[in-house]
Amino acid sequence: MMDSKSSGNDLLSLTRRNFLKTLGTTAVGTAATQVESVAAELQKLNAETIVGPAPIPIVLQVNGQAISIEVEPRVTLLDALRNHVHLTGAKEVCDRGTCGACTVLLDGQPIYACMMLALEAQGHAITTVEGLAHEGQLNPVQQAFVECDAMMCGYCTPGFLLSITALLKRRPHPDADEVKHACAGNLCRCGTHPRIIQAALKASGVSVTSQTEVIRYADLA
Amino acid sequence: MPTWPKETKYIGRHVQRVDGPAKVTGSARYTSDVQPEGWLYGMILRSRWPAAKISDISLEKARQVPGIKAAILVREGERTIRYYGEELAAVAGTSKQACLDALRLIEVTASPLPFVVKETEALKDSSPPVWEKSPNLSKPKVVEKGDLAKAFGECAAVVEGFFTTPVLIHHPLETHGNTVSWTDEGITAWASTQGIFSVRDGLAGNLNVEQSKVRVISEFMGGGFGAKFGPGIEGALAARLSKAAKAPVKLMLTRFDQSLAVGNRPSSFQKIKLGASADGKLLAYELDAYGTAGIGSGGSTEGGGGGAEFPAPYIYTIPNIRVSHRGVTVNAGSARAFRAPGHPPASFGMESILDELAVKLNLDPVEIRLKNDPSPVRQREYQLGAERFGWKQKYHRPGSSPGPVKTGVGCAGASWGGGGGGTQAEAQINPDGSLEIRCGTQDLGTGTKTLIAVIAADLLQLKPDQIQVRIGDTRFPPSGGSGGSTTAASVSPAVFDACTQALEALQNQTGVADARGDNWKAACKKLGINPLIVGGKWQPGLSSSGTGGVQFAEVEVDADTGFVRVKKITCVQDCGMVVSRLTCESQVNGGIIMGLGYALYEQRVMDSTTGVVLNPNFETYKLPGLADVPQIDIILLDMPERGVIGIGEPVTIPTAAAIANAVANALGVRIGSLPITPDKVLAALGKTQAAHA
Amino acid sequence: MKAFQYVTAQSVDSARDWLGPRASYLAGGNDLLARMKEYLADPDLLVNVKSIPGLADIEPGDGHWTLGAQVTIARIEQDPQIRKLFPALHEAAAEVGSLQIRNVATLGGNLAQHSRCWYYRHRDVVCLKKKGPTCFARLGENKFHSLFTGNPCISTVVSNLSIALAALGAVVLVQQGKQTVRWSIADLYAKAWDNPIAHHSLAHGDLILKVEIPVEPGRSAYGQISEKGAFDWALVSCAAAAVFDDGRVKQARIVLGAVAPVPYQVEAANDLLKGKKIDEPLAARAADRLLAGAEPLEHNGYKIPMARALIQRTLLKLMG
Repeated sequence: MMDSKSSGNDLLSLTRRNFLKTLGTTAVGTAATQVESVAAELQKLNAETIVGPAPIPIVLQVNGQAISIEVEPRVTLLDALRNHVHLTGAKEVCDRGTCGACTVLLDGQPIYACMMLALEAQGHAITTVEGLAHEGQLNPVQQAFVECDAMMCGYCTPGFLLSITALLKRRPHPDADEVKHACAGNLCRCGTHPRIIQAALKASGVSVTSQTEVIRYADLA
Repeated sequence: MPTWPKETKYIGRHVQRVDGPAKVTGSARYTSDVQPEGWLYGMILRSRWPAAKISDISLEKARQVPGIKAAILVREGERTIRYYGEELAAVAGTSKQACLDALRLIEVTASPLPFVVKETEALKDSSPPVWEKSPNLSKPKVVEKGDLAKAFGECAAVVEGFFTTPVLIHHPLETHGNTVSWTDEGITAWASTQGIFSVRDGLAGNLNVEQSKVRVISEFMGGGFGAKFGPGIEGALAARLSKAAKAPVKLMLTRFDQSLAVGNRPSSFQKIKLGASADGKLLAYELDAYGTAGIGSGGSTEGGGGGAEFPAPYIYTIPNIRVSHRGVTVNAGSARAFRAPGHPPASFGMESILDELAVKLNLDPVEIRLKNDPSPVRQREYQLGAERFGWKQKYHRPGSSPGPVKTGVGCAGASWGGGGGGTQAEAQINPDGSLEIRCGTQDLGTGTKTLIAVIAADLLQLKPDQIQVRIGDTRFPPSGGSGGSTTAASVSPAVFDACTQALEALQNQTGVADARGDNWKAACKKLGINPLIVGGKWQPGLSSSGTGGVQFAEVEVDADTGFVRVKKITCVQDCGMVVSRLTCESQVNGGIIMGLGYALYEQRVMDSTTGVVLNPNFETYKLPGLADVPQIDIILLDMPERGVIGIGEPVTIPTAAAIANAVANALGVRIGSLPITPDKVLAALGKTQAAHA
Repeated sequence: MKAFQYVTAQSVDSARDWLGPRASYLAGGNDLLARMKEYLADPDLLVNVKSIPGLADIEPGDGHWTLGAQVTIARIEQDPQIRKLFPALHEAAAEVGSLQIRNVATLGGNLAQHSRCWYYRHRDVVCLKKKGPTCFARLGENKFHSLFTGNPCISTVVSNLSIALAALGAVVLVQQGKQTVRWSIADLYAKAWDNPIAHHSLAHGDLILKVEIPVEPGRSAYGQISEKGAFDWALVSCAAAAVFDDGRVKQARIVLGAVAPVPYQVEAANDLLKGKKIDEPLAARAADRLLAGAEPLEHNGYKIPMARALIQRTLLKLMG
């Protein structure tokens, strides 16, 4: 982690001065309720604590566990999960919110961990791929991915699993188009696409069979 | 000669990927996930000039950033930069943020030089030379056969066309990178690679360390597609940073980096003339082609073509030909092998012009292929595929589809060599009956671990999950790089040999006549306290090279908006003896989808004025998504008598050509330029309004 | 990304107070953080505006609906009443990025996002929009660029929602200094028409608070054409809304996206529809009016026929 000595204090004090100046104006402008107003503003002042740029302590709720770490405000949730919480299931592939390999669930909703500041994820339940199986038992989507071979190199797999897990919670029996819409934000380079759709449907209870035909060349006349 | 068993329980059947559970739980550790004690981040500073003389690089301010433990130059002294993104320096630090801050404080003194980034500009005499001593445009490499002029004169039909294919970026989802620890004992490198031994040898040679002191590990890797064979400059930099910082350094490229400096598929510009007799027999072929492989092509490569060459007239045998290839150097990153190097552009040009000829001769495209394709296997594949696809019902005269949304069909064929060799494996049978198979190969996502488990399970009558497959470590018996669709054909016979020899040794040592299956545990127990380790090596007779495949595409083209939707691809592929059917089918899907990207979406875009890659991201370098993928219908043509053949490459070759032919069939006009984007469709239909002067 | 400080504002006033010259508002962050990662923006302070009470509400009403600027696009997409009352807005929201983006991205952020021009977004290219000497796209790779503009920069507006909201006649409430001003969508982007550096009319410190959408007894529709089937920017987008009287158009608005630095509207095209039944020939004539005066460059001439087709389809969609 980066050394916490930092030169951000000038900015901090400057901004505080501005704020207090504004506070004064507000208080004067509302003389009749001056006391309440000042109290209310002071409460806000407390709530509006400026943090950074040096690392600050934050608490993330990851897979049901509260985890305390220290990160700079500029650290993304993805960076925090991988390099501070040491959960490497979410992958850094584009780091720009374009590929979905870093998808995690925030209160059950899929988001890109690379495009959210870690400190903003505080107070939300975060689910990563490591949190999908329970006591060694794969969840139905994971199970279907294995059975359908909905993976090749596996680098996009965690993101797809989370997108589909969230979809099935929302829509237990989606059709293929809904799977495509839910996974539009996930990319795969190996080309597992058809089997990801199959696996999603399979996890929702639809029976899926391979259409591949095998013909022995020797049997051809 | 050894032979594969006729009756199998696992070989050729659907067996789940043995590392599937690891991949779906996030427990699979890729190079990017490895976090050895005390590790540091590494990052590279790249040139922001497409061409420049670098006179000085100062790392002093970067070294002052809190958390930075090392900062190094790629090369000491003055140097010339020849493309945007070339590596200049590298830093290692305790956080990503420290490294980012440090990179911005590195001071580079540079004098910009003239540059050229587009092929069409680089081939002009007036273009600035990328290399001082050699021209951008190479001398043509020419192959001639027969009497071309005479043959064209005798043809009943002659067609001409111009076809272009773009530079593609491999974009494996795991970027290139390594986590390297260099101590007095030697180097340990976790590498995202297609060749652990080539990385070992590359690092050893580059850093002047004995090969025995370099260990390369790649247990899981996130895709390569031909671009990940050596350690690369980034691998050597990670090692040097580790030595300087006295700590392990993880240096994974960013997606931006990935777009600039670690390989690409060369472009092609193909002027083709093709002639045939009235009954469609090909008689004459002429190709005048050029393309770029970046700074590593053109006059800079002595032999001519320079990296952008491709086989022509591809799979066809034509009595009279003239083929000319030239390479054009541009100020852009070098090409590297890209899934079936040379073949997809070759297939696109040849299969496109062949369809034009079929139209002119009023022949069905399947018919003209049956007349000319020399491969009896592909002949059968065309027949099988046409029937399954419904070709006769779906094919119509080009452009005759009514309404604004037009349908069309097309087909194309491909061949690939592959083959195996040069691999060893060892089996370790433990007294408790557990079995380990070790092989210094690597799994790119193709299912190599599964393949090994399936073979061992079948030969020893065990279950695949009873077998510990260990690969991706240079301490294991050697295997080659995973390229050219050779891994399955190299590894399978070695595992076969190790297993059969180990079984024989087990039986000899324990006196159990048949130690397989139900007798296994009892036999192993008789080993006493020492495990039995038996090596095996690749044997002839268990694998083959040479495979053929054909594909059919059905598309819908919206003639008002230019939007192309591929509805269906039917693929018929010769695959020898299939070892692992589930992962084999996944490979076919994968090849087709990569071909779909080539056909419709992908291209590196360079800017002439600034010299940069304009789309170093997934926002504007477009990969196919779930919504873009058609129904994929696969017929595997089994030839168990031929043994194991790799199919990773052949299945990606004909897809783009088949799609392009289907689009031409739908519209009645041909778009000879990949990718076939809506703007090109509307332009081909004459709807696009020209630019104001 | 450069180091910065961070604060959460609890009121509009305090958000504005925090916003010194080197500070930025942070909403969903998809646009801002992406620019910061490329060093196109390097604020010293991020002022989180997501927690300001009242800005994340959807308030239904008989006369108009009010959507807080901090409402996520996923909520807009998924709201069944919005889907029914304002189909154009629903359809435009469904095409914004991907679900992961929509779950975080806000209405205000979508409206205020910067150009996606690949020269502007490139970390090492200093183009006109970044106060550089020239627009490289004009003579370069301009396939995704404008057909209409009032300034030398040819990047386009990319907010899907702005196109739909313009057709719906929405009003944007913007906190500007001490007062709240009411802008049409045209007002919100007017500055981008003339000024190559502007992405919209918002000055530093201006904050979008809410969007009011009038409930009109008509129909609306949105459509876009992209290169990919999903998760891709529009090459051209179109939204239309109309109120009908006995099958004839009483009033209509047609808006084109991705062809100009602003949501592109032509009054004469709207006027043409008045009093008439929408059919193919009329839709074609409306398209002619919208596209009159288009100035195609080397690589974007295809947008004219594409827009023509899309205008016709969107108008015909209004007929159900």
